[in-house]
Amino acid sequence: MRNPLTKRIPREIKNDLGKYIALFLFLIISIGFISGFLVAGNSMKSAFDNSFEKYNVEDGHFTLGAEIDDKTKENVEDLGVKLYKNFYVNKELDNGNTLRLFKNRADFNKISVFEGNLPEKNGEIAIDRLYAENNELKVGDKIKVADKDMTISATVAFSDYTALFKNNTDMMLDAKKFSVAVVTNSDFDKIADDNYTYCYSWIDNDQNLSDSKKNDLGDDIKDELAKTGMLTDFVKRADNQAIMFSGDDIGGDKTMMLTLLYVLIVVFGFIFAITSRDTIEHEASVIGTLRASGYTRGELTRHYLVVPTLVTLIAAVIGSILGYTVMKNVVMNMYYHSYSLPPYKTLWNGDAFILTTVIPCIIITLINLFVIAKALRLPPLQFLRHDFHMKKKKKAAKLPNFKFLTRFRLRIILQNIPSYIIMVFGIMFAGLLLFFGLALNPLLANYKTEVVNNMIADYQYVLKAPVETSNDAAEKFCMTTLYESNDEEISAYGIEKDSEYLSKAKIPDKKNEVVASQGYLEKYSLKVGDKVTLKDKYGENKYTFKIVGSYYYPASLCVFMTNDNFNEVFNKDDGYFTGYFSNEKIKDIDDKYIATTITQKDLTTVTDQLDDSMGQSFTLLVGFSVLIYIILMYLLSKLVIEKNEQNISMLKILGYSNREASKLYNHATTVVTIGAIIVSIPVIYFVFAGLYHYFMFEMKGWLPYVVPWYVFVEMAVIGIICYVIIYFILQKKINKIKLSQALKSDE
Amino acid sequence: MYLEINNIHKFFGTGENRTEVLKGINCNIEKGSICVLLGPSGSGKSTLLNIIGGIETAEEGSISINGDTIENMNEKQLSLYRRKHLGYVFQSYNLIPNLTVKENIEVGAYLSDNPLDVDDLMKTLGLYEHRNKIPNQLSGGQQQRTSIGRAIVKNPDLLLCDEPTGALDYKTSKEILKLIEDVNKKYGNTVILVTHNDAIKNMADRVIKLRDGQIRHDIVNTEKTPAQELDW
Repeated sequence: MRNPLTKRIPREIKNDLGKYIALFLFLIISIGFISGFLVAGNSMKSAFDNSFEKYNVEDGHFTLGAEIDDKTKENVEDLGVKLYKNFYVNKELDNGNTLRLFKNRADFNKISVFEGNLPEKNGEIAIDRLYAENNELKVGDKIKVADKDMTISATVAFSDYTALFKNNTDMMLDAKKFSVAVVTNSDFDKIADDNYTYCYSWIDNDQNLSDSKKNDLGDDIKDELAKTGMLTDFVKRADNQAIMFSGDDIGGDKTMMLTLLYVLIVVFGFIFAITSRDTIEHEASVIGTLRASGYTRGELTRHYLVVPTLVTLIAAVIGSILGYTVMKNVVMNMYYHSYSLPPYKTLWNGDAFILTTVIPCIIITLINLFVIAKALRLPPLQFLRHDFHMKKKKKAAKLPNFKFLTRFRLRIILQNIPSYIIMVFGIMFAGLLLFFGLALNPLLANYKTEVVNNMIADYQYVLKAPVETSNDAAEKFCMTTLYESNDEEISAYGIEKDSEYLSKAKIPDKKNEVVASQGYLEKYSLKVGDKVTLKDKYGENKYTFKIVGSYYYPASLCVFMTNDNFNEVFNKDDGYFTGYFSNEKIKDIDDKYIATTITQKDLTTVTDQLDDSMGQSFTLLVGFSVLIYIILMYLLSKLVIEKNEQNISMLKILGYSNREASKLYNHATTVVTIGAIIVSIPVIYFVFAGLYHYFMFEMKGWLPYVVPWYVFVEMAVIGIICYVIIYFILQKKINKIKLSQALKSDE
Repeated sequence: MYLEINNIHKFFGTGENRTEVLKGINCNIEKGSICVLLGPSGSGKSTLLNIIGGIETAEEGSISINGDTIENMNEKQLSLYRRKHLGYVFQSYNLIPNLTVKENIEVGAYLSDNPLDVDDLMKTLGLYEHRNKIPNQLSGGQQQRTSIGRAIVKNPDLLLCDEPTGALDYKTSKEILKLIEDVNKKYGNTVILVTHNDAIKNMADRVIKLRDGQIRHDIVNTEKTPAQELDW
């Protein structure tokens, strides 16, 4: 015969439908989103990794001042690669944006079409999908390129421009102002008018070369090309941000997302468990009777375990299904909103299923098993007597001689400590998410201000080869990129003694002594006096520097030394330099010698781009945390009322009004909740500082951790408003408690 | 007359299951008296007590206490009525489990502008040495004494006791009944005591016997027996 107790399960859910729906929906959203995140990340990463072979993506490219001659071509190809012509021409549009035009490439760096068809007729153009989206362009629209109206025939993704970096040395991609595009061969030649950028891509003959061999091969190609004296640009695939940047970013936040999920799951696990424990206390007589009639502790434990496990299991399965469908698309849209990625196929992700579906179910079941089994450990007689304490007699905690109402509220707080602990924990967690949502925008804004206020010079020219200028404002510098132990780029600058642009930095004369930027010190928790060892890209050479000073350059990771020391350390000739600082635009250097010019706009592109791609997520996060606040506060404070229903009813019989009863019971919760909100703010600030440091470590660069005061006020106000809503709901709940409740003496 | 009960009718259930539990109750109770409502289970005595206490409402009839009729009162007025006039004692004590003896009595004191001194009252009730204990540290008799303390600390006009000795042994029951008697003498409250124990009627000034929702006997007891001498 089936256990007749199972018939209670749907009724139990029905009786507390609001609570179960809230938990159910929350689990679905949390599991769905994280599952979607993992599925999307995995599918996209796989699409990205496979794209090299599928689209025959180059192993590198170089640009020459003129078309390559047959001899050089033969010499390069003899090194073990195949060369492809990949000429392009940059055209500035009327709105200041830049289009980089290519012919269609059928054999290498293939292009995927999202909508429409690649240009077949003259006057047609295919542009990058993300650029089109950012500029509200669609297939069929016309754009003016080189004074010619062209019709957009397709939106596409270039396999060698998954991140729209105009120059490889740019700090950030710019999918708003820069796009790659395809036109017909004849349009290409007409528009270029012989002003091609002579770019060639190479693909290794042996696709199984190790990274280091690939790198060596690249170096050999570079040496061969250098002989021509026409090499103006050279980028290996591993160094090509346009190809590699997006792949590095996809799925990178997996640890953070899973941590978030598990913290949430533990919070929900405890909400379920506290609810179950209260139900057990509520049904003590029944449990005592059942145990006395022969039901085993195990049978009853399983019975009370069914509802939390069932609700979690169904929510996890639905969440998982949503993860593979709706949520995956939400995350995918986020990726597609940042990068020009090729189309993908959704891949079954066993890990995601285990991490977001199986493990949460296990966590919630275990927490409940622990709490329920502990609650049911008492002998039947104690259940019949409503005596829930393992110790013989529990004593009252001694309280100071406060006013009666204060003591009453303190007793309520003491009675509900487990619920309140979970509530405080939940408030901290929701607060952390809220803080994340509220603080990042100001953080980016601060970064922008800091960057602009602390620029070394209005223009920072990075040259491809040393070229002199007659501009008096220009000051030479040397720069090379070194790498920290975690492969993060650190710029090593050599600057002139008595530099006008870094007058506040006291650059040491001694070899291997440097001044470090504030950003570098903060990110790597370094201080003046520490020694750092940096390496070049492949770790062949290591350089140890002693930090003897800091320079307030908060958003950059760099070290400064004198030009002379620089040349000595890096074995350069005297007088070597790589660029100029200048507060004036330098006009007498040909563009072809300039690798990149860093201006205020370039430095703030990072934040603009982050704002653009993540701004939406910040708002979502605020909404999500408000939801957690409300649900957590509601479920846990409701428990306090439910637990004391009979006492509240008794108070009403004695003559307490609804408001007075609420003042006693809800004020205790109010004190805890508001207290937790206020206290959580500084705690969150410091916890977030730790997390921030950890997450920023995983990312490139450094954004100083500065949070304006108003974010703290916003947090407190949002938390309190959420509670005020709950307070009114609780007040209604107290009003609804019937006087007859107290007359039901046993149940 | 202090308490006037006129033609009270009360039904439970709906449709075919609708049952009339009080079938036109009429009686008057004098101020300062002890009235025992006696009857077997299901006779309607607790329901009548709850209607007098404003916890339940009657479908028909009226109750007036000191001239105030309670059937016309809204919830707020009923709260005020209970607050001003009533003390309640239940069989199951209904103490707040996480408050000490003293604090449980203060729950009642808080409602009154002029409550009795809590410490004095605890001494009278023999609870002073237990004042810092919570209910689960007390015996049944001590819990019921606390419950009586909570009811009388605001010095109510009317003390309603629903089977106050129902869960207690013989000796403790007599102690509690003596306490109720002493309280009635000392403070002059009107006491209505619901019981199914026939022996208790002997301590009452007035005995109303109910059966099947109707008053079967309404007796004025001229030869009261002190609670201490009751026997059953």
